[in-house]
Amino acid sequence: MKKIIIYFFSCIVLLLLASCDSERMEDINPHQPFVASLNILQPSLTFYGQSGELITTWVFEKGYTGAVLIGFDQVLLYGYQLQHADILQLSSGKKVKSIEVGLGITNGYYDEDTSQLFLTNGKTNELISYTENGQLKKKVKLRNYPMSMAASKDYLYVINYKDTVLSVVHKENLEVIDEWPVSTSSQGLYVSHEHQELWVGGHGIGNKPNKFVRVYNLSTGQLNREFTLPLMPIAFSKADEDIIVSSHGSNTIYRVTADGDILWQQDIGANPFAVAQFQDKLVVAGYDDHTLYFLDDGEIQKQVKTKEGPFQLLVRGDSH
Amino acid sequence: MKKISSKLWLLMVLFLSATIIFMYIFTNFLYEQLYVEDTKSTMIETGEKLQTKYSGGKVSDQLIADIEQFAAMSNLEIFAVRNPRELSACVPFDIDYDALIGPDERKQLLLGNAVTKIGYEERFDRQIISVILPFTDQNRLEGILYIYYPLAKISELAKEEVILLITGAIMFLLVAGFFVYQGMRKILQPLDTLQHAVNQMTAGDYNVRVNVSVNDEIGHLSSAFNQMADAIQQDDEAQKSFLATVSHELRTPISYVKGYSEAIQKGIIDEAKRDEAIRLIAKEATRMERLTNELMQLARKEDSQAESYFDMLVFAETIRDAIRLVQQKANEKNIQFVQQLNEEIIVIGDEEKLKQVFINILENAIHYSTDHSSIRVESSIVESYAVLTITDYGIGIPPEDLPHVTERFYRVNKARSRSDGGSGLGLSIVEQIVKQHKGKLKIKSILGEGAAVSVMFPLMEEE
Repeated sequence: MKKIIIYFFSCIVLLLLASCDSERMEDINPHQPFVASLNILQPSLTFYGQSGELITTWVFEKGYTGAVLIGFDQVLLYGYQLQHADILQLSSGKKVKSIEVGLGITNGYYDEDTSQLFLTNGKTNELISYTENGQLKKKVKLRNYPMSMAASKDYLYVINYKDTVLSVVHKENLEVIDEWPVSTSSQGLYVSHEHQELWVGGHGIGNKPNKFVRVYNLSTGQLNREFTLPLMPIAFSKADEDIIVSSHGSNTIYRVTADGDILWQQDIGANPFAVAQFQDKLVVAGYDDHTLYFLDDGEIQKQVKTKEGPFQLLVRGDSH
Repeated sequence: MKKISSKLWLLMVLFLSATIIFMYIFTNFLYEQLYVEDTKSTMIETGEKLQTKYSGGKVSDQLIADIEQFAAMSNLEIFAVRNPRELSACVPFDIDYDALIGPDERKQLLLGNAVTKIGYEERFDRQIISVILPFTDQNRLEGILYIYYPLAKISELAKEEVILLITGAIMFLLVAGFFVYQGMRKILQPLDTLQHAVNQMTAGDYNVRVNVSVNDEIGHLSSAFNQMADAIQQDDEAQKSFLATVSHELRTPISYVKGYSEAIQKGIIDEAKRDEAIRLIAKEATRMERLTNELMQLARKEDSQAESYFDMLVFAETIRDAIRLVQQKANEKNIQFVQQLNEEIIVIGDEEKLKQVFINILENAIHYSTDHSSIRVESSIVESYAVLTITDYGIGIPPEDLPHVTERFYRVNKARSRSDGGSGLGLSIVEQIVKQHKGKLKIKSILGEGAAVSVMFPLMEEE
């Protein structure tokens, strides 16, 4: 009997120690550039260096569904089913702040110009702004299920995913400046500063997969043109003068010019939900095959297995 | 529904019906299960063959057309899907669309596994059994092969057999019911006979007996009934003959009394003979009185021993008391008592009743002894009994009459009966009292030489 009690006691102690440990992740060298993959099936962040080598893995107990870098040393983690969003410091691996955000957070966006954090809530249909320290600033009610966000100058562009409206919101006072018609299930935004255009991707309606990227005039909301980039283009990344588009429905990665001319296209990964430019490499995350692909000039240089369900890519360069 | 055979029959038929219904449901279940299993394996087999048509890369139009062509010739519903929307490719994002496969199935298919489902599918608005096989290439789910078969068709197939099954079941039930009924009748026939016999007996027919043909509980009951009927019949006959005897015994003195008293009344009898007639009337009246007294005594004794008062008695003393009481009668016939009594014997008993026993035996001995003879009275201990033996040297009892002398109103010499004044109840009373005392009565006799009557009572046990 005594042995059992001792055994249980040590188990509890171990558990306590383990949970204390989970509060503190392995720290990341502040001078280390990385691309980090947020994996949602096995909640974790996996950090990789320039040549695709694994730096470290942060495994979470909470089911985070999204992450966003705040500056160089902090990462915000949120989840649709989580009451709190957490800010972790990369250089220490410690949680520095937990923000009560409520259930239904669909996306996070950090605006460097104003040092503001924006969160969208798919349950309350709100856009909420915070300071970079996590202090609540303002809230505004948008349309049904706000999610994808991009910023340009004073404005934040928010797609209402289950609606046919894109909301243009003033970054500081959160006033809704304009609303543009878009198709439902639109997802993925890219701001072309040079052309003053906004690229909008999407999944499609019903059983019809979307094939187009629609390009709108950034100031008027006028639909300028649409490119056919099948199937289901939803992720964008800037690569020099060109744009990388990931069409997850056909596992296709396109490199297109600002005019929409396809420079090359390649089937990469299985169900790639995220693409990112990391230094001179293009990184593609295959959600179904749990693999990150590192490409150079359209050639796969390296592929690494991550935890299950890589869903977002966070990139920290070495320019700081 | 009063007969036990009907109840048993109904019970059996109910059980049979329940069994048939259960078997029907069970068979149906098994049949469907087996058929479903068979269909499933056919579907998987077909699917795996079709899967080989896919050679990697995107699912081509040609492949879809090939599968459509095959499906046209198959009785299974088969189609290929490559639309990522249908394959839940967007699933981490909230989708407004009910895809053909769910996220869990997608996960299985990505691993290259087949997925089978049985149940209602909203897409087809019916119950189906379906098998989904993946077209995968480099971990990509390029498409799926969807094969399904409506479950209703399987049930319909089972339903065709239902009428045959139900008809068969009803036929079986009828035949089984008939045989069970016949069997029940056969088994319970003796019980029926028994019931009839009991009814007859209740109506007063004690001659009725039943045939014991089986050796089961009913057979035992039947033989018990027969024994009981024997006993009742004997008792009834004894009762009848007893009543006949009693009335006969009373009628004779009554007719004497009646005849003489009427004759006196009418003055038919002259003065000289009148005294003689009155003496006769008195004698007959005494006899009747004695008879009724003894009958009452006998009737009372049969009731119980409750009135007995048991006490420790000096055996010899009780015997002497009895002798004193009959001394007068003995003197009349000049009969001598030869006594040889053990003075140490002590018994437990009712003094008055024991005395009665001794008096009855002594009176009989006096009665049947010739004048100037003697009567031996001896007491002794034999084993654990106190024994009194009274021996006379009178006329004795014929051997054929010996077993019956204790029966009521039994007389050795019927012709002598009334004149000798005995009621024919004396030894009956003796036997009854001896039985009450757990004793024994033994009578030995040689015709013409006399008789020896022994009564044995248990000795008082010493503590």
